[in-house]
Amino acid sequence: MNTFQFLIDGFATALQWHNILFALVGVIIGTAVGVLPGIGPMSGVALLIPVTASLTSGMPTDAAAASSIILLAGVYYGAMYGGSTTSILLNTPGESSSVVTALDGYQMAQQGRAGAALSIAAIGSFVAGIISLIGLVLLAEPLSNIALEFGPAEYFSLMLLGLCAVSGLAGKSMTKALMMTIFGLVLGTIGIDAVSGIARFTYDLPVLYGGLEFLTIAVGLFALGEVFKTILEREADAQPIAKINRILPTKQDLKDSAKPITRGSLLGFFIGVLPGAGATLASFFSYITEKKFSKKPDSFGKGNIAGVAGPESANNAASGGAMIPLLTLGIPGSGTTAILMGALIMYNVQPGPLLFDDHPQIAWGLIASMFIGNVALLVLNMPLVKVFAKVIQTPQKYLLPIIIAISFFGVYAVQYSTFDLYLLLACGVLGYLFSKNDYPVAPLVLALVLGPMLENNMRRALTISNGEWNIFVTSPLSLIFLVIAMAWILVPLILKFTGRKVIVNEEE
Amino acid sequence: MTKTFDKITGIVFLLISILFIYESLQISGSAYGSAVGPKTFPLILGIILGLLSLRLLYETFNSKSEQKGKSNLDIKRFGIILLSAIVYVFLLEILGYVITTFIFLVVAFQVMEKGKITKTLIIAAVFAVGVYVMYVNLLGGNLPKFSLF
Repeated sequence: MNTFQFLIDGFATALQWHNILFALVGVIIGTAVGVLPGIGPMSGVALLIPVTASLTSGMPTDAAAASSIILLAGVYYGAMYGGSTTSILLNTPGESSSVVTALDGYQMAQQGRAGAALSIAAIGSFVAGIISLIGLVLLAEPLSNIALEFGPAEYFSLMLLGLCAVSGLAGKSMTKALMMTIFGLVLGTIGIDAVSGIARFTYDLPVLYGGLEFLTIAVGLFALGEVFKTILEREADAQPIAKINRILPTKQDLKDSAKPITRGSLLGFFIGVLPGAGATLASFFSYITEKKFSKKPDSFGKGNIAGVAGPESANNAASGGAMIPLLTLGIPGSGTTAILMGALIMYNVQPGPLLFDDHPQIAWGLIASMFIGNVALLVLNMPLVKVFAKVIQTPQKYLLPIIIAISFFGVYAVQYSTFDLYLLLACGVLGYLFSKNDYPVAPLVLALVLGPMLENNMRRALTISNGEWNIFVTSPLSLIFLVIAMAWILVPLILKFTGRKVIVNEEE
Repeated sequence: MTKTFDKITGIVFLLISILFIYESLQISGSAYGSAVGPKTFPLILGIILGLLSLRLLYETFNSKSEQKGKSNLDIKRFGIILLSAIVYVFLLEILGYVITTFIFLVVAFQVMEKGKITKTLIIAAVFAVGVYVMYVNLLGGNLPKFSLF
């Protein structure tokens, strides 16, 4: 079967009525998550894993995994859509990836062109989503075929590369980012060792034998952490929201943004594929690029539509691009994709090259559903822009306690133990303290997901080589990965040393 | 704030790494003659974590203390919500899901902002009962019931 055939089969999965429903619910919740300040895509996805787990509990494993991942991915790219709304209307970005959108978007809203800005953001996101999906379809087969040749040594080095890339770009201090990564790996070793069956660091506590549950930690660190932050740091009351008059952009608007959208999509896609660099970096780069290409660079920051179209396309394309390493190599490149990977592992589905052979229904079903989801977003968002603008006004008084209640329900429904709820609360407090003091939490979660695999591959490689550590450098591919991994860590250090400013990726 | 926090985390992580290295050494070695057993990986992690903590402590003591504007933290509001969340978990399996969730939400809503009692009660009740009915009756899941008697 060729790629096209697989894609058709994927559509057969994605067009089952419940999967269409899942994709729709996913993108709608995602848009709401993007619009609401205080919940980002990461906590939105983490929060919904237990909910989807219980929704799909009656289905066969493969179908359940496909449906949940369709919904969760919908939340992910839906949030990228929604994030622009608050940037444009309120000048308060819902996500870090829409920070640059606020620069020109809010100015446009001030000039009474809020509708045009919103719809250009939606159109740009749609085009970007489709372009990155085409890239995903084209690259999926060849990349996973290459990855099939990897042995344990190559996998170990590749995972190390993923971890280094995320730590190298996360947060202000690399020491702190690396500490968080190692701490995540440390937490991942708790429990019964999968290879030898020996209990490690369990202190004979039965709750620890299974290891710390990834879901509990992720929901605690991201969702509860952000809720606690909002509770603690009482914010000023909401500003008045800009009025939306005309929704459709003019012909001139469309003409002005066609090129930025194309450039933004391509740029965002390639940045998204790189591990560590995510939607935030993509939108920044796109803004800088547009400013360079523009005939009137002075008009940026004063309501130039290219300043909205480019970055918004870029951040959506990046979220599509980020799916590639996750699906084909089994290496998540960002916090949100790490959480998606954790969700797949919960269903006993291992992302990676074998995913396309073992579970084509899931892999291609997801890809096909992303086409449907993107169309749905465009169709829904143009007329519903005003409704989503209303969502911003949800009073925090009700929103925050309900998020706490949902995360309790979710974790309890999946784990059925109060130990996990205490752990959840503890992670919430830690998550707040960590992110407040510039300790990035995304690398921790990524490390927690990758840790067991990293260790297993390391041990398998060393067993093959009879304990010779040089297996990691004698295999050429593994050596290349290790060198790139080192570069991710060293290059920013050198740049910093020479006094240059390094753009870091904020949590997304 | 950040500097004190950094010192504390540096020391805490250093202690964790020492504990981790010590505990890794207690794990019995390989069971089947392979060169690397279950203790190698944690041991390496422990050592790296220890070195990074030392590095953080070094950075913290070397950097000049930065004066940060005092942020206005609403400790009281947060404290009450955290405490009621702990009580919620404690009572969950005793009083059942519906009652504890309802009480928690009412308390939390009122702590967030006083007033609008009727609306508070309605939203809390709809959420608690709604989740229970949806999950237990429609999806066949299981949540703790009232089990005092």
